[in-house]
Amino acid sequence: MNPTTFAAILPEVLLLVLGILILVVEPFWKEKDRRNTGWLTFGGLLAILVVSLLAGRPGEPTSVFGGTIRFDWLGFFFKMLFIFAAAMTSLFMMDVEKLGRRGESYLLLLASTLGMNLMASASDLVMLYLAIETTSIPLYVLSGFIVDDEKSTESGFKYLLFGAMTSAVMLYGFSLLFGFTGTTNLYEIAAAVAGAQVSTVTALGVIALVLVGIGFKVSLVPFHFWAPDTYEGAPTPVAGFLSTASKAAGFAVLVRLFFIAFAKNGLAPDWTTGLAALATLTMTLGNLVAMTQTNIKRLLAYSSIAHAGYVMIGVVAFSNLGVTSVVFYLIAYILTNLAAFGIVAVFSRVAGSDKISDYAGLSRRSPWLAMAMLVAFLSLAGMPPFGGFVAKVFVFAAAVKSDLVWLAVVGVINSILGVYYYLTVLKVVYLYRMEGEAEESHPIPLTRPYGIALVVLSLGVLLIGTLFAPWFSASGAAALNLF
Amino acid sequence: MTVDLILFLILALVAVATAAGMLFSRNAVYSALFLVLNFASIAVFYLLLGAPFIAMAQITVYAGAIMVLFLFVIMLLGAEQLAPIKVLPWQRPLAIGLAAVLVAETAYLLILRAKPAADIIPPAETVNTLGELQRLGMALFNQYLLPFEVTSILLLVAMVGAIVLTKREKGERE
Repeated sequence: MNPTTFAAILPEVLLLVLGILILVVEPFWKEKDRRNTGWLTFGGLLAILVVSLLAGRPGEPTSVFGGTIRFDWLGFFFKMLFIFAAAMTSLFMMDVEKLGRRGESYLLLLASTLGMNLMASASDLVMLYLAIETTSIPLYVLSGFIVDDEKSTESGFKYLLFGAMTSAVMLYGFSLLFGFTGTTNLYEIAAAVAGAQVSTVTALGVIALVLVGIGFKVSLVPFHFWAPDTYEGAPTPVAGFLSTASKAAGFAVLVRLFFIAFAKNGLAPDWTTGLAALATLTMTLGNLVAMTQTNIKRLLAYSSIAHAGYVMIGVVAFSNLGVTSVVFYLIAYILTNLAAFGIVAVFSRVAGSDKISDYAGLSRRSPWLAMAMLVAFLSLAGMPPFGGFVAKVFVFAAAVKSDLVWLAVVGVINSILGVYYYLTVLKVVYLYRMEGEAEESHPIPLTRPYGIALVVLSLGVLLIGTLFAPWFSASGAAALNLF
Repeated sequence: MTVDLILFLILALVAVATAAGMLFSRNAVYSALFLVLNFASIAVFYLLLGAPFIAMAQITVYAGAIMVLFLFVIMLLGAEQLAPIKVLPWQRPLAIGLAAVLVAETAYLLILRAKPAADIIPPAETVNTLGELQRLGMALFNQYLLPFEVTSILLLVAMVGAIVLTKREKGERE
């Protein structure tokens, strides 16, 4: 095996090693020490991040493993994001009851991350489908991990049913794609589609079938129904992972498929109008329904649906700047939303509730937690100087540059809708008081893993919002691989 | 060619009938047996397509191993008889409507657009004839090496997941 081939799957190999290490080591630890599995996972993931950054960087884009894997900056960049998100999630998982002391939960997290890594770099339909399943199956289990909690079981089961159905539809699309082009390699499909005699209607049908599977992963309307129920019932850190890394993996597949295999050159049909309509629907529905939510996890679920819509704007722009803005948006979004779900996890661990009204007086109960919440929610709302603001600016700029001014306007109107419900939550946190009780006697202690993760994420959100040039140029380098 | 076509039509009827039988029978054991028959007829499809190896794999893996497991589970659980289910009032009209759409679509494809079927390009090379089992192995362990390995990870993780979801931790209430 030559060095490039090995470097291409270095993070995946290391993830597998770490997973097996956890599986072997965990049973030897005493019951009270099992929480250390979380530290082991976190440390291991950080080490993988560092080693991959040092030894696994791609050079010129190359296809390895018989063309099933594409080794380029786009895939690499996403891989690093997923590993980072998994590291943060492992910290959030540690103090969750019935989840944090089980080695299996970390193994499932790592396996899912491995699947995402392969999703980001897969360039063959067979590999892609396997990668999507490797990502999803551990996540189904993680969502339903807390077996004696009915909500968690319901969440896992709903996710499984939706996932199985959409992946079957997508597989049908893949089989048609193979039937029409005679190859499963994305780059060869691109060539075959460009010179094929497939009618526009058929081609659009195939694209629609494939889009069902990806739309489910990134929770685009109308494939979003699972998201609120799954997020609400799943253990909170898992919900955070689902709404960030899993969604970003979906977008990684989406851009590769739509920009390489279904590229709008020659005879390939124009799919942007349809996707623009979906983006509009997704943003509007997500934001409107989010306004009426009383449960914070459901609110974040609808907000994450809306954010998928914003990211789609960048995809629809179909330009270099568009993909750059998609990647940049995903960086900012992953940091912000992980923080938001982390805060919810901390709060519900102590208060035992996910109701927004129970957040009253949080600023007095735990000023630092309230501060982190301020950062995360203002970034989600798209306020400067946080990451969410810059990300939105780039996405809208990409739309305007591609003559899609109307879409940018829709996006801006939607952001204003978003500001309303994010600020409503912050109003409860900062202005409302707990009824008839002294807030100081109900503190919300932060355990060390939560503290570390929230500090890192909050600083990250701030950093991306202020010093965005290096991130933007890195996103640009990743985007360049598609053109 | 015509023999193939006649065989295909008969088998297609069998396949569809057994699939329907699987769905409609109220006894889980009958359903499982119908499914075995369905798998067997699909295996013959593979034979017709010139893929004897896949046909054999279909028989041994699906009709053999997996269905035996299914039957065991059904019988061990004693879940042969389905409880009567409440029928949703809107379900039947909706199903009829969707079925009509499907029939119309099929008719459209078969009658009006029969020609573009020729557009379907067969894969560049046929690797799956029994004599060329070697080439199947070569394809699996060269070009598709990584997906093959990833499958093993997927199976491991699925197994861990299944154990997590079914096994109770010590000290937890039943």
